[in-house]
Formats: sequence, structure tokens, C-alpha cells
Amino acid sequence: MSKATDSRTMIEMIKVTKRYPPNVMALDDISVSIASGEMFFLIGRSGAGKTTLLKLLCNMERPSNGLIEIAGMNIHQVTGNKLAKLRQKVGVAYQDFRLLTDRTVAENIAISMEVSYKKPELIRNRVRSLLAQLQLEDKHDMLTGDLSRGEQQRIALARAVANSPSLILVDEPTGNLDATSTAQVMELLSRSHNAGATIVIATHDESIYRHSSHRIMEINNGRISSLTKGDGQGWPNAAGAMDGGSGDAI
Amino acid sequence: MNFWFSIFRQTGRNLRQTWTTMFMTCLTVSLSVLIFSFFYLIYLNMLNAESRLSNELRLVVYLEEEPGPELQEQMRLKISRFDQVEEIKFISKAEAFNRFADQLGDNREVLTDMPQDFLPASIEVIPLKTLRNLSQVKLFAEYLATLPGTQMVQYGQKWIERFYSFIKLLSIVVLISGFLLILTATFMVASTIRLTIVSRQEELELLKLVGATNNYIRTPFLLEGILVGLMGSLLGLASLYALFQWTTHHLAGAGFLDLFTFIFFPPGIIFIIIALSIVLCTAGSYTSMQKFLRI
Repeated sequence: MSKATDSRTMIEMIKVTKRYPPNVMALDDISVSIASGEMFFLIGRSGAGKTTLLKLLCNMERPSNGLIEIAGMNIHQVTGNKLAKLRQKVGVAYQDFRLLTDRTVAENIAISMEVSYKKPELIRNRVRSLLAQLQLEDKHDMLTGDLSRGEQQRIALARAVANSPSLILVDEPTGNLDATSTAQVMELLSRSHNAGATIVIATHDESIYRHSSHRIMEINNGRISSLTKGDGQGWPNAAGAMDGGSGDAI
Repeated sequence: MNFWFSIFRQTGRNLRQTWTTMFMTCLTVSLSVLIFSFFYLIYLNMLNAESRLSNELRLVVYLEEEPGPELQEQMRLKISRFDQVEEIKFISKAEAFNRFADQLGDNREVLTDMPQDFLPASIEVIPLKTLRNLSQVKLFAEYLATLPGTQMVQYGQKWIERFYSFIKLLSIVVLISGFLLILTATFMVASTIRLTIVSRQEELELLKLVGATNNYIRTPFLLEGILVGLMGSLLGLASLYALFQWTTHHLAGAGFLDLFTFIFFPPGIIFIIIALSIVLCTAGSYTSMQKFLRI
């Protein structure tokens, strides 16, 4: 554990800047600390920098300046097997899903558990359980390329939570979903949250964060424009999804 | 699920998806092994023939006069002074005549009117097995020519020289073809694996993002390299063996080929060829994977 974080901090970002060539400032001077077990919303308009921030958190990209620590480790200095182990503990649902379209739904979800050598029986059960939660049991053996966008989105989310990671990063989880599917997705995320996972959700879907009791950070043009809390009324269709959490005071 | 179980499953999945490409690579490797082994087998058989010819190598020193026992002893000493020899045999004129008559067989009556001493006396020198180098044989022959009373020295110079030149040429062909084919096989395997990697880049990137270790990503490709190397070399050697059997069966008793006793590779060489093929194919896979894993 480094000096920058205490034992309850999952994510520590200090003066993080991300600049793309030639001189596009995607993130500017972002400093935020997210506690272990917290559900955290990242909001802002398209192009505000939400996805860039998530990419920095999952080490898909490196910051131009600043420090990012996950569970006390500077993730951009970790390499090799240590990085692989760290990534096994971070589940990511990408905005573009990153599904293998020539593989079945079950194989896509299983991939995150296979890399950490889970037992085949455990993998099979977990896949079936996740599909049941998302009401996609009948899609088990279908190729993901044959699914609708909404179904693909839910499969991507199932893969992110399948390995029971301690940190889940979700980019626009409800972008292609109707109200019922949105409720299922939030239910799934709240289960992981209740199990102790830290969850960071980047979204511009106001309906999923407005009534939560969790912290909401708004980004505008790459800078933090506000850091607030929801009104705490909770998500109407998913009991407990938005409540509980261990969000710190702002 | 342990590491190797995952790896074998991943390898099986890869092979199912890319079996046509792998099959073509396997054929290329087997063809490379076949061509190289073909030349090498010829070379090996030539060496075998050379060894047999060397065993029968003898220098014949034709003399002007038949030497008496004293002169024979002196000559024996002089010859031994150049180098130790296996055997020195003096052939008298009469003995030479009888040998010739034996060689003529039923036609020996052509010698009826010939005098018994029309053939020159000679010394047959069988050099030691260590003296097998053509230049050494030449030097020895030149030395023998300086012996007193020597008419000429014969050891089938022209034939032996041609044979040695042919073996030298063949060894160069084997070396060059071997080198080129090794490059070809390695390059082919590396290219195929690289193509497979490019076609599966999305999947491999995802594997990295979900926390697969480099070994988890790399090992299936290395196993594919090993498999291609093994199958390719086995196929190549099996084809060569079939060709060898056909040749020995169909060309047995055909003219000059009777001079040779054809041999196939001993188990040790077969093992080395297979091992080399596996190592090269695995190296091809490894280099391609390293390039990807560095990205």
C-alpha cells in the first residue's frame, strides 16, 4: 500500500491529465479518491472525457501527467504477470462491448474466468446464473454476433462481473436498453456492489443515478465540474440497487 | 482449472478455427524437410559409398624389372618410411599373368600364344584406413613413383578425383539447400502464426484486457508451432521413406547403382531432423508472439 492511499481507498487519481496529439486535452487536472466498495457515477455529455477516464483506470491508456493508483498500486508501472493479476480483479464493460462475435454467449462470458483458471463446473454455473439474472438463458449457445445491441451490451456486462472482480468499470451500461433491461443491469451491478465490489459507472442516463445515494462526479470538457450525491430515493425497479453502498462523504 | 488444461483447450480451439492455415503450413514444412532430407540422404549414401571405396583403395606400383628378395625388402622399408601401410604385396610377372587369365575366364585361350612374362611385375600397396584424404593419397602415389625401377603408379586417379569432387559438390548443395530450407520453414511458420495473430488480434487484445498472462496467450501458439514442426517433419520423412523404398525396389540391379548399398537415415539422424524441425517451428511462433506481446 502506498502513502497516497489508505486501506479503504480503491482508486486514487491525483492531478491526472490526458492529452491526445496534436493538443487535444481529454482530461485536465483530475483528482479524485474512490473508496473500496463504493458505487461511483461519472457523468457528463458525450466527449466530456468519461470513457478516457475509464480507459486510464483499466490501463488501456496511460495518463500524460499525474498518478493513478488502484488498490495502492500505480497501475501504469505494473507490468507482466502482476498487471495480468491486477486486470483479473478489474472487470470492464466497454462502450463498444468488445465481444468476440464468432464465439457463443457462454464462451464470451467464460473468458474472464478462464484466464484466472476457475474450475469448468464453476464457470458453467456462473455463466448460467448470470444469464438467468439478465433473462438471457435462451441465448447461451448463440453467437454474440447474432444478438441485438441491447443483448450484446448485457453480455458485455455479464463478462465484466463474471469473475467477481473487486473493481468494476462500466461504460454507458444502459445506452441501448429499455427500462426493464436497464433495471436488470442495475440489479446485477447492485448485487456485485453488495458483495463488496467497487463500481464506477460512466453514463449520461440520468435515470440511473438521479435517485441514488452515491457520489456523482460530473466532467465537463475534461475537468471536474461538480461532485455531488444523488437524492437517495433509490432505483424504483431494482430494490436496493442504489442504496446501501459505502459512499464516502463528499 | 489448471494452466495446462486451459492451454490445451485454447490450443484445440485455435486449431479448430485455423486448421486450414495450419494444414498448409504443415505441408510447407514437410516439403522443406523432404527436400532437405532428400539431398542429405543422397549425401549420406555417397559418404557410405566413399567409405566402401576407400576400404578397397589400393595403389599399384608397376615395376620395370621383377625385384629379388633383397630389393623387395628394401622397397618395403622405403614404402614404410613414408607412412605405415596396411599391406604390401609383391606380384610377380607370372602371378600377374595368372590373375589376368583368371579374370578372362572362358576367354583365357586368347593368352595361349602370349609369353608368360608379358605383364610387368608390380607392388600392391594397401594404405592404412587413416589415409583416406585424396591429397594424401596423391602425395603417397607421387612418393611411390620415385621408388627405383618404377614404371608408373595407378590408383584409379581420374575416377576417384571425380567421385571426390562430386561428394564435395553434393556437400555444398546439402549445406546450401539445408540453410535455405531452414530459413524458408522458419519464415513460413512465423508468417502463418503472424497471420493467425492478426486475424485474432481482437481476441488476443481482449485476453490481455481481462487479465490473461503472457504465457496464457503465448503457450497455445508455441504448442501449435511444436505440432506443425512434428507433423511436418514426420510427413516429410515418411514421404522420403516411401520414395526410398520405391527407388531401392525399382532400381535394384540397375547398372552402376549396383555399386551402392542404399541406406536410410539411422534413428539418431531421424530424431535430430524431427527435433530441429520442432525447434525451428517453435522459434518461428515465439518470435511472432513476442512481437505481438510487445505491442
